[in-house]
Amino acid sequence: MAVVIPAGHSKTNIFKQGLNGADVDFDHTWQVLEGAFKEIHTKNASALSFEELYRNAYKIVLKKKGEELYNRVAQFEETWLGQTVRGDIVKNLSAPLMLADGTGRALATQTERRQAGEKFLKSLKGAWEDHQVCMGMLTDVLMYLDRVYCTDYRHPSIFAKSMGLFRDQILRTPVKPGMATLLQILTSIILDQIAMDRDGEAVDQFIIKSNVYMLEGLYESDQEVEDEKLYLRSFEVDFLRSSAEFYREEGESLLRESDAGTYCRHAKKRIDEENGRCRSMLSEATTQKIQRVVEDELIRHKMKGLIEMDTGVAHMVENDKFADLNLVFDLEARVDPKKPELTKAMQKIIMEMGTSINNNAIAASQAPAQASAADEGDDSKEKAKAGSAKAINQQTAAALKWVEEILALKDRFDHVTKVSFTSDQMVSTSINRSMADVINTFARGSEYISLFIDDNMKKGIKNKSEVEIDATLDKSITILRYLGDKDVFETYYKKHLCKRLLLSKSQSLDVEKQMISRMKIELGNSFTLKLEAMFKDMTLSEELTNGYRNHVKNLGDVDPQRVDLGINVLTAMTWPLEAFKGASDQHSDGNDSSRPQSQHVIFPPSIDRVRLGFERFYSDKHSGRKLTWQSNMGDADLKATFPRSKGGKPRTHDINCSTYAMLILLLFNDLPSDQTGPPASLSVEEIQARTNIPWNDLKRNLQSLAVAPKTRFLVKEPMSRDIKAGDVFSYNEGFKSEFIKIKVGVVSAGNKVEGDRERKETEKRNNDSRGFAVEAAVVRIMKQRKELPHAQLLTETLTQLSAQFKPDVGMIKKRIESLIEREYLERLDDAPVPAYRYLA
Amino acid sequence: MASQTDYVTLISNDDFSFVVQRSAACISPAIRKMLDPQSMFMEAKTNTIRFDNFNALVLEKVCEYFYYNERNKDARDVPDPELPTELVLELLMAGDYLDC
Repeated sequence: MAVVIPAGHSKTNIFKQGLNGADVDFDHTWQVLEGAFKEIHTKNASALSFEELYRNAYKIVLKKKGEELYNRVAQFEETWLGQTVRGDIVKNLSAPLMLADGTGRALATQTERRQAGEKFLKSLKGAWEDHQVCMGMLTDVLMYLDRVYCTDYRHPSIFAKSMGLFRDQILRTPVKPGMATLLQILTSIILDQIAMDRDGEAVDQFIIKSNVYMLEGLYESDQEVEDEKLYLRSFEVDFLRSSAEFYREEGESLLRESDAGTYCRHAKKRIDEENGRCRSMLSEATTQKIQRVVEDELIRHKMKGLIEMDTGVAHMVENDKFADLNLVFDLEARVDPKKPELTKAMQKIIMEMGTSINNNAIAASQAPAQASAADEGDDSKEKAKAGSAKAINQQTAAALKWVEEILALKDRFDHVTKVSFTSDQMVSTSINRSMADVINTFARGSEYISLFIDDNMKKGIKNKSEVEIDATLDKSITILRYLGDKDVFETYYKKHLCKRLLLSKSQSLDVEKQMISRMKIELGNSFTLKLEAMFKDMTLSEELTNGYRNHVKNLGDVDPQRVDLGINVLTAMTWPLEAFKGASDQHSDGNDSSRPQSQHVIFPPSIDRVRLGFERFYSDKHSGRKLTWQSNMGDADLKATFPRSKGGKPRTHDINCSTYAMLILLLFNDLPSDQTGPPASLSVEEIQARTNIPWNDLKRNLQSLAVAPKTRFLVKEPMSRDIKAGDVFSYNEGFKSEFIKIKVGVVSAGNKVEGDRERKETEKRNNDSRGFAVEAAVVRIMKQRKELPHAQLLTETLTQLSAQFKPDVGMIKKRIESLIEREYLERLDDAPVPAYRYLA
Repeated sequence: MASQTDYVTLISNDDFSFVVQRSAACISPAIRKMLDPQSMFMEAKTNTIRFDNFNALVLEKVCEYFYYNERNKDARDVPDPELPTELVLELLMAGDYLDC
């Protein structure tokens, strides 16, 4: 009655006293027990009385003979196992199996080996199960021994002891002296069976599982420490080693013989197989370990080779094998969450593809230029001109193509990431980084992107739905995001936007504004400040023009002949006006470019009156502002009447042309037109003297007025494509056109890729503005910190400017030097590291 | 293998039979093992155990204790069972023997 009195050490004495009277003869009692044990082992227990055996064991223990009983039982089991059971098992062991190594295997065919192995496993399993059952019964009968004697003396229980005996007698004893033990044989047989299973042969999984179960039930020592299971200590080690060998070889031969996709599928299959194998044949505890082995051998060590195979990742990307890529991704994700090999491979592929796009773009933009250079060598200037004009077009096309290709590249890899890499963070980050690298290694990236937007604004968005426009804008922003030198982009964008606005080339101002608001979100307020100011100027100018018109009306000077004026007043700081000058300077002889041209243009009186009128009007409204006329950017609508041809009416045409072209045409208006004599004419020199249009612009405008077939208002003498000094022009009376409205195109008015010279200038300007930005940043930082070591100043400057561009350290150093010279900063002489102080 | 009955018979060394509920008797691990149908001993087959070292007086008290225990399994503050003083030692030994 345990509730009242727990069984304990101190109580046993009482019981002994109580039993003193009953005499117990140990040998006799043991004989009874031994007989019964034999019956149990031969499965004949039904005639035995549990109570009797229990009572006998109880008595022996009470008589303090527990130790002797314990030893007798152990001895009994040892003899039983060592002689009867082992003999049975060895009988089932065919000769080849005993060798427990490769030679044994070589001697028999696979089927023979499998059957012999199964037979052995079966007999071992039988012996083990019998032993378990019998020992279970024995333990039950000897419960009192376990409870009192084993606990008091800290002996392993009878059951544990007998398991140890099984291990020692059956598994650890050599089959014959000098030969392998049954455990070794067992291990090699199981491994052999597993190898067969891997080769696809059907094996008896259940029997293997039973044997593994046995190994799991046995321990290295009688103490039964959990992680010293025989299975873990002996079998699993061998299993993992042999598996590693197997997969290493298999991996190598697969890499040699098959393609990457197959390899991946195979590896995945193997991993799943091993999982299943652990469940059905081995122990769940091994699942993790064998997975690791397979992953190590088939993936981690082979990943590099796999990715670099002919049919590796590059091949998959090229042929859109998303499923295979997904497999590669899965495999690598298994072994390393960072997936270094795959990301490296992807980056390499992107770099390669990107570089080839870049190279294509460079080649496309250079090839015709070279061709034209070759033409120039032929001394045929005319051809060269045409060639270079074509070259510029071709470059623009190359720019557009480059952007499209970069976008396509990005789309493609986005798709790959989504489909194959489950939008994995690591991979997509690295892909993005590579995209940025690709875009930033391309020197003309900023210009090309801006051109792309320009092209879309002018033509691309025509007849497109809002959704499509949105998509286009998104695309542009996407690339823009990668761009490192955002300030360069800003310069180009400003320039292109300026031309779009002034020449009214933009399809929709709404879209322009959307684009800018997107940039604002993406790149910040300061980036779009000037762009927005440009729009503001445009709106203000419209109001101004209307205001001026009303003003003129109110003057009461309603002269139908009066020239109407539309004006755009632009803030000089915001608008990249030099872009226009630069474009017109491009081919000039050099002496022209130094002189500001706009002021020198001579307007005819009718026009000049309007100009002065507006200047008065403007300075009334805003005192202290100076207007500079940019006549090279304007355009004019003329109404021209041509004399009647034979039998016809006089024809009137609305002509839209540049301001310069208007000036030239007006000159011919004033010429006396004599019906009978030869048409009055003007030479190039005369035209220039009367208008003071820069030579270069003059040449271009004359070309469109006298050479272009649709708008030949003037007749040129001698008739040729090129305008040379000494050419003479006259009014073309015989001009005919079926259209009422005629637009005079001016050569190269649109936005194109810059020429080399232009680019150099842009770069120079850019460097200058970067210099200012750097100085401003340095001063800002120093103003705040007062004193700062050199290195820290550098890093802070870099971080401040990183949103706009990546300044190089040399430039920063130079700027600091110059700030010191100008006494904004001074060096600290006593500082341990180079440092500066801000001088207020 | 014998079918598992609800009641088992316990017999004392002076041949008194006590039929008790199996669940009550199985409070003792020793009895439980003896009656376990998995073990192939005689007791399990016949659902009968003969105790050679208890007389009827002791076995009766043991059976009483089985029921007492079963009844008060989940209760708290249960009054101690009444035990005749002259049987105390023998009951103590029986408790040790049956491990309960």
